Amino acid sequence: MISDPLTVITIVPLVVSLALLILPKISGSAEGLARASRAISMGVSLAMLAITTMIFFGEIGNVDWTDYNSGYSLTNDAFALIPSIGVHWKVGADALSFPMIWLTTLLIPISMLVEWDAKKGHLFHPLILMMEGALIGVFVSLDMFVFYAFWELTLVPMFFLIMVWGGEDRKYASMKFFIYTFTASVIMLVGILVMYFYTPAVESSGTITGHTFDMSVMIASSDYIPSEGLRHLVWLLLLIGFATKMPSVPVHTWLPDAHVQAPTAGSMLLAGVMLKMGAYGFLRIAVSAFPESTVAFIPLLIFLGMASLVYGAWVCMGQTNLKRMVAYSSVSHMGLIFLGIATMQPLGIAGALFMMFAHGIISPLLFAVAGAFKHHYHTLEIGSMRGIAHHSPWLAAHMMLGWMASLGLPLLAGFVAEVTILIAFWMSFGWLVLLPTLTLIITAVYYLTSMQKTIFESNDPHHGILPDTLHGEDPRDISWHENSGMIILGALTIVFGILPFIFWDMMSEWSSGFLIDTLVEAMQSEGVKP
Amino acid sequence: MMPELIMLLGLIAIVVVPNLGDAKFRLPLTSVRVPVLLGGSRFDLTNDPRMPNRISNLTFSIALLSSLLLISESPSEIGGILLVDSFSRLFSTMFLAALLLVSIATTHRLPAKTNALIPKDSDSEEVFDRKISILIDNRRQVDFYILLIMVGLGMTMMTMATNLFMLIVCIELASLSTYVLVAFHKEDGTGGEAGAKYFIVGSVASAIGIYGMSLLYLWSGSLDLEVLRQSWLSMDGVDPFAAFGIGMMLVAFGFKVSAAPFHLAAPDAYSGAASQVSGLLATASKAMGFLALFRVLVMITVPDGSEAIWMIALGIFAIVTMTWGNLAALTSENPKRMLAYSSVAHAGYMLAAIAVVGSGISSADQNAIILTAVSFHLFVLVLFKLGAFLVLALLETEGKGHQIEHLYGLGRRDPLIAGSMFLFVLSLAGVPPLSGFLSKLLMINGIVSTSASTGSLSSVDVISWAESVDPLFWLAAAIVLNSALSLFYYLRIGLVMFFEEPPSEKSLRAAPSLRMAIFACALLTVLCGIGPVSEWLLDTVSSAIDSLMYE
Repeated sequence: MISDPLTVITIVPLVVSLALLILPKISGSAEGLARASRAISMGVSLAMLAITTMIFFGEIGNVDWTDYNSGYSLTNDAFALIPSIGVHWKVGADALSFPMIWLTTLLIPISMLVEWDAKKGHLFHPLILMMEGALIGVFVSLDMFVFYAFWELTLVPMFFLIMVWGGEDRKYASMKFFIYTFTASVIMLVGILVMYFYTPAVESSGTITGHTFDMSVMIASSDYIPSEGLRHLVWLLLLIGFATKMPSVPVHTWLPDAHVQAPTAGSMLLAGVMLKMGAYGFLRIAVSAFPESTVAFIPLLIFLGMASLVYGAWVCMGQTNLKRMVAYSSVSHMGLIFLGIATMQPLGIAGALFMMFAHGIISPLLFAVAGAFKHHYHTLEIGSMRGIAHHSPWLAAHMMLGWMASLGLPLLAGFVAEVTILIAFWMSFGWLVLLPTLTLIITAVYYLTSMQKTIFESNDPHHGILPDTLHGEDPRDISWHENSGMIILGALTIVFGILPFIFWDMMSEWSSGFLIDTLVEAMQSEGVKP
Repeated sequence: MMPELIMLLGLIAIVVVPNLGDAKFRLPLTSVRVPVLLGGSRFDLTNDPRMPNRISNLTFSIALLSSLLLISESPSEIGGILLVDSFSRLFSTMFLAALLLVSIATTHRLPAKTNALIPKDSDSEEVFDRKISILIDNRRQVDFYILLIMVGLGMTMMTMATNLFMLIVCIELASLSTYVLVAFHKEDGTGGEAGAKYFIVGSVASAIGIYGMSLLYLWSGSLDLEVLRQSWLSMDGVDPFAAFGIGMMLVAFGFKVSAAPFHLAAPDAYSGAASQVSGLLATASKAMGFLALFRVLVMITVPDGSEAIWMIALGIFAIVTMTWGNLAALTSENPKRMLAYSSVAHAGYMLAAIAVVGSGISSADQNAIILTAVSFHLFVLVLFKLGAFLVLALLETEGKGHQIEHLYGLGRRDPLIAGSMFLFVLSLAGVPPLSGFLSKLLMINGIVSTSASTGSLSSVDVISWAESVDPLFWLAAAIVLNSALSLFYYLRIGLVMFFEEPPSEKSLRAAPSLRMAIFACALLTVLCGIGPVSEWLLDTVSSAIDSLMYE
C-alpha cells in the first residue's frame, strides 16, 4: 500500500510541522489560526498512528510481528544524502525499535489531546508534531549520521516547548536541559567518529573519505579499532551520551528540573519517549558494537542501575512536588533497564525492553494527571489539599491507576517488566536481587503515602481541604479531552498488563537472538557464564 | 580572463558614471553644441549616491556568473606567469561570491543621502558643516566600492599566478586595498587606528615575505613556481638560502591566514573595521593566504615520500594557533573580537591538515583529500563566518554590535535573524548536519586516515596504543578537543540571544539587502552540509584539486 512507510512517518510530520511553523497567518484571527494548526497537527499525527498500527497488523509491509525473528524489516533502498562521506537515507525497524515507533505515534496524538484546549497559540501543536518526526527518525534510521542528526533535532522542539510554555523557572530548566544533553551528545559524537574512522575502506563510488556511516557496517567493523583499551574508551564515550539521555545517576539532574517546568505535553513526551532514546541507543549501538566492553563493564552497569534505582526512589520519598516525585520515579525505573541489560539473560533484556514500553505508557499517564492537577488546583504541592476523590473523581481514579501501575501492581503493565527483570537478575546474581526488590518497597511507600495525602484523607468527608491557590473556589473535574487521553493510557496499561504477549513475544525473540548473535561469544571470552 | 575584464570594466564604470553630466562643447564660430557628457551638472541618475553600490553589485554578479560558467574551462597559460585552470577558477568564484555578498550587504552601511544640497554662504555654520559632511559621505561611496573591486581584481589574479613575483604583486594589490577598507570605518573612530595597525604589521610581514622571495631568487635564479619545484627536487640536502626563503614567506602568509603568533593585529583590525569588511578579512583574505600556502609550501617543497622541512614547525604552529584562538575567544566580551579569534582557531585547524600533507607518510591520494577538505572548508567558511559578521553588521546599523550585551534578547527582537546567527555559530562549532561539520570531518578524516593506521594493533590498553601511534594523530585529537572548547563560546552567543532580556524591544532596522545576504548565507550553510548542493560543491572542489595535484 505504502512502499516505504517508515520514511513517510518520519518525513510527513516534519514537513507539515515546518510548514505550519513558517507559513504566515492564513486565517484572519489568531484564534482561528491556532484552531486550524491544532486540527492539522492532530490529523497528521492520527494518520501516522493509523500507519504504524497497520504495520503492526501486517496490513502495510506484510511483516508478521507475532512471529518475528531478527533482522530489519520495512527497509528502503538506501538513498545517498552525502555520498562523499558515506551518508545514506536508510531506514528499517525491528523488534527493538518497532514498539518504540508505535509508542511515539500513540503518545503524540494523546499529548495533543490532553492539551487540546491549552490556549497556547498556533505554534504549540506543530512543535509537538515536529517532535514526532524527530523521535521516529531516531528510531528508524540505520545510518549513524542521520541518527545523530535526529538525536540532536529532538532537542529543538523540546527546548522551545519548555522555554516558551514552561513554568516559572523555565529559563533555567530549558538551559540546563539543553546544556546537559547537548554536551553529552557531543561526547557521544566523538565516540561515533572514532567508530567511523575505523570502518574498513570501501571502494564505492563517490566516497572521498573511504568510510561509511552505515550503522550495520560501523557496528560490524568495531573489531578494526586497534586496541581493547580504545574500544573500552569508545564504549564509555557512547555510554556517557546515552546514560545522560536515559538519565542515569549521576547525570540525571537535568530531568527533574525539565519535568517540573515543562508543559504537560512536553513532560509526557520527555518521559514517554525521549528517555527511551537513551536505552534504545545503548542497546542498538553501544552493546551491539562492543559486546566485550559491555561484558567487561557489567559491574559498572549494575552500579549505575542500582544507584539510579535506589537513589531515585529514596529521593522520591522526600518530594513534596508532584511532578518532581514522578520525575525521580522515572530515574528509578530507568535504573531497572540497566539492571535488565546487565543480567545478560534473554529474559532480562526482554524485560528491559518491556520496561521501556510499559514506562512509556505509565509515565505519560502520571504526567497527564500531574498536569491536570496543576491545571485545576493551581498547585503541585502534595498535601496542600486532601480528598480530591470528592471533588474530581475521574482525576482521582486516573491518579490511583497510574500510581498503582508505576509501583508495579500485578496485572498492570509495569509489573510484567519489573518481575521479569528481577527474575533474570536473580538467575544471574543470586541474592543481590534483594536490593532492587527492597527498593520496590520504597516505591510503594512513597506512592501510597502521597495517595493517602492527596486522594483520600480529609477531615470533612464532604469537602476535604482545598489549597490556598484556589482562593476558595470549587475545583472542577477534568475536562473531556484530558479525561479521554487518560482513559486511553489507563486502558492500555491494563491491556498490556493482562496481555503482555502482544509485544512481549517479539521482544523476547529479539533478545534471545541478540544474545546468541552478539553477546555469547563475548561472555565466553570474558569468562562470564551465560 | 572574463571575470577580470568585467571587473576592470566595472572599475572604469564606477569612476566614469558618477561624473556623467550634461556638459556641452560649442564648436568654435558656430552655435552648434556637441554634448561631451563628462562634467557639467550631473543627471539625476548619475547623481544618485547609491549608484556606485549598484555598479559594484552588478559587476560582482556578472563576474561571479562568468567565473562559475568557466569553472571547467580547459587550462590555458597567459604570458608564462598566469595559468587559468579549474583550480584558479574555483577560487576566484569563491572570492567573487564573498565580495558580492559584502557588496550587497554594504548597501546600508554609509548614510547615502539622495537629497544632498550644496551649502550656500547664507547658511549658518552648523548647517554648512552638515551639508558638507553629507556631500563627503556621498562621495565616499565611490571610494569604498573602487577599493572593493580592487580587492576582487587582486584576489582573482592571484589564483592564477604561477610566478612568485606575480603572486606577491596580486596579494599586495588586494592587501593594500583591504588596509584602506579597514580604515574606512569612520563612524566610530576605531577604524583609523585599526587600519593603521593592520597596515603596519601587514607591510612588515609583506616585507619579510618579499625578502624571502629574493632569497629564493638568489638560490634558484628564477621565480617561476615550476622551476623552483624542479630545483627543490634536485637539491642536495637543504640549501640554507632556500630554507630561509621559504621560512620567511611562511611568515608573510602566516600573517594573511592569521596564524599565531602573527595574528596579533587581526583581532584589532576585525573589531575596528565595519563588520562587512571584517567578514571579508576573515574569509576571502584568509583564503588568499591559504592559496599562497598551497602554491608555495605544497607545490614547491613537498618532495615525494619524505618529510618536508616545515612539517614539524607547521604542526606546532597549528596547535598553538587553534588553542590560542579558542582560549582568547573564550574570554572576549566583544562578539567581533570573538569571531576574530574563532577565525584564528579555524586557521589552526586548516594548518593542522596542511601539516599532514608535508608528513611524507601520506599518499598522493590522501594529500588530494586533505587539500580538498581544506579548500572546501575555506568555501563554506565564506557562508557561515561572513554570515555571522553580517548579523553583527545589522546590529551596527544602530551603532551596536561590539559588545556581547548588544546580542541580548535578539531572539525576541528578531527571531529570524537570531535563528540565522545561531545556525552560523553552530556551523562554526561543527555541529552536524551543517556544512561546518562536513568540512571539519573531512579534515579530521584526512589526518586520521594518514596517521591512525600507524598505531599498533596488538596493544592492549590505550596508553601503549597512544605511544605507538604517529604523532600526527594528535593533530586530529587537538582539533577535536579544541572544537569541544569552542562550543562554550559559540553556544554562549545562542544562550544570550534567546535567554537574556533585550536592551530595547525596538525591532531591528529593515535593511532588506543586508537581510537578503544573511538569509542566503544561512540557507547555503544548511544546503552545503547535506544533500545534492554539498555533493556538487565537493565534487567540483575535488576535481579542481586533482587538476592542481596531477597537472
